[in-house]
Amino acid sequence: MLNTLQQAALLLLISSGLSVSMGLMGFANLAHGALYMLGAYIGIAVAAKAGFWAALLAAPLAVGLLGAALYLGLLARLRGPMQQVLASFGLVFIAVEVVRILWGDVALTLDRPALLSGSAAVLGVDYPIYRLFVILLGLVVGAGLWMGVHRSTLGAMLRASVENRGMARAIGIRTEALFLATFALGAALAGLGGAVAAPLYSANPGMAISALIPALIVTVIGGMGSITGAILGALIVAGIEVFGAALWPDASAVLIYAALAATLIWRPQGLLAVKARR
Amino acid sequence: MFRLTPIRAAIAALVLAALAGWASFGGYLAREMVAEIAVLAILALALDLVAGFGGMVSLAHGAIMGVGAYGYALANQAGLPPWPAALVGMAAATLTGTAIGAVSARLTGVFFLMATLAFGQMIWALTFRADALGGDNGLGGIARPPLPFLDSGDPLVFALYALVLAAGCLAVCVAVLRSRFGQRFEAVHDNPDRAAALGIAPERIRAQGFAISSMIAGAAGVLAAQHMQFVSPELMVWTASGEVLVVLILGGIGSLSGAVIGAAGFVLLKYWAADWTDHWHLAIGALLIVVVLAGERGLSGLLEGRRDA
Repeated sequence: MLNTLQQAALLLLISSGLSVSMGLMGFANLAHGALYMLGAYIGIAVAAKAGFWAALLAAPLAVGLLGAALYLGLLARLRGPMQQVLASFGLVFIAVEVVRILWGDVALTLDRPALLSGSAAVLGVDYPIYRLFVILLGLVVGAGLWMGVHRSTLGAMLRASVENRGMARAIGIRTEALFLATFALGAALAGLGGAVAAPLYSANPGMAISALIPALIVTVIGGMGSITGAILGALIVAGIEVFGAALWPDASAVLIYAALAATLIWRPQGLLAVKARR
Repeated sequence: MFRLTPIRAAIAALVLAALAGWASFGGYLAREMVAEIAVLAILALALDLVAGFGGMVSLAHGAIMGVGAYGYALANQAGLPPWPAALVGMAAATLTGTAIGAVSARLTGVFFLMATLAFGQMIWALTFRADALGGDNGLGGIARPPLPFLDSGDPLVFALYALVLAAGCLAVCVAVLRSRFGQRFEAVHDNPDRAAALGIAPERIRAQGFAISSMIAGAAGVLAAQHMQFVSPELMVWTASGEVLVVLILGGIGSLSGAVIGAAGFVLLKYWAADWTDHWHLAIGALLIVVVLAGERGLSGLLEGRRDA
């Protein structure tokens, strides 16, 4: 149960970023897993010099800046989902190789900070404090995003820009700057997810691909552009992963994809889509 | 509408002829590479049919090809001679593709992509887990087809046989696109609403196109199994499908000749770069982005010039 929550919180951290860029902006970003990977590696590198807490701050900042640079330099020029899919797939290739050149093929690990090591008794079970911290962080980020998108002026402007870009611009919203900031935020969330995940799972070049699929599934199952949907999707996928692995190990890998396929057939827009777009 | 312009036909014929010549006069490695190119070219042709002409970008084609390969391998192990086993493999791939196409055809764009990704990964995960299919280890000891008067165990004979199959698949694709069905298929892609108004059922046409493409992908799988004499779940992972998509984009999507030239270029680049660097994917990634920014016409578009689309 707690494992499900922790897995869901981590998935939420990764996929909320994707939900922001893919869902809100309609940007099909296959490089999201690569940003997550970079977050983990940058986190490990910074943690080695300045400690865990600095890494937790530096990784999202660095990846967010990188996302902004990518958006300005390349991604904003692309038209249509096909070009986005292909160009971001190219970015995955590049990012994986750059990481392999800089850090090598060996998986790296990060030690848990002293404050969060050890375990605490929760509901009568000993549970690592770090995992509780991940759950907490997931809750904070999820709540923050939900408030940001649904209850702030900026969020309203963003939703207006997605709905009708021309009209939003006509009433004085600087849509380009807003999209840039949104994409950077999505990238920063991926970076944060990477840094947080590093102490739980080791960082390796394969994670760019392996993290992408669950994040995509969460985003699609939950419904693009819906933060609530991303939370629900993360819970569903994490539940399938954890309980599936325990109860029916042979089928657990298939079940996630079956859930994705079923969602696409039953409700192509996702369980909690904002609206039927396209 | 698809036109097999003289220049496209010439490009495809020249590439195939050059590969045949290279296999004839090159060494063992050249012949193995030519066979690998032929397999990749057939799979890229299958993908071009749905992605280039039907607008259905599939990430399941690697898995469908894998079904063809496993179908051939299992039928062969069950005692069936190679040629009937090849038919079994293609039939299995066609059935799989029909099922996927029937369910996914009503989705478009990114949603279609995600659905094919889901189905492809389901097939991969099932194969990976199934002990009867050798699981992670795959299946080995697969026979090559007997050819009249020739020994298919000879690398040269097999390379030429693979090239002939690739040329045959190219001809099938051209014939499909020129048929009434092909015209409807492209009409549905160009303007689904108008096609529907003309009495064409878009979803049914799209599903049928996907099934035909799956049959060709199955042929690629059978050939791959015959070439490697071994099948493994590696064939089926979605990144394998992504790689074929990259091949197609680099070669030029929607031209058929691009599939052939892209496959040749990709395999040659892979072997050439592997000699001096482990990081050749870096170049592929950069190249992919450049091609996408330049307008997605690839090598084939470069050779054709900028006149027609």
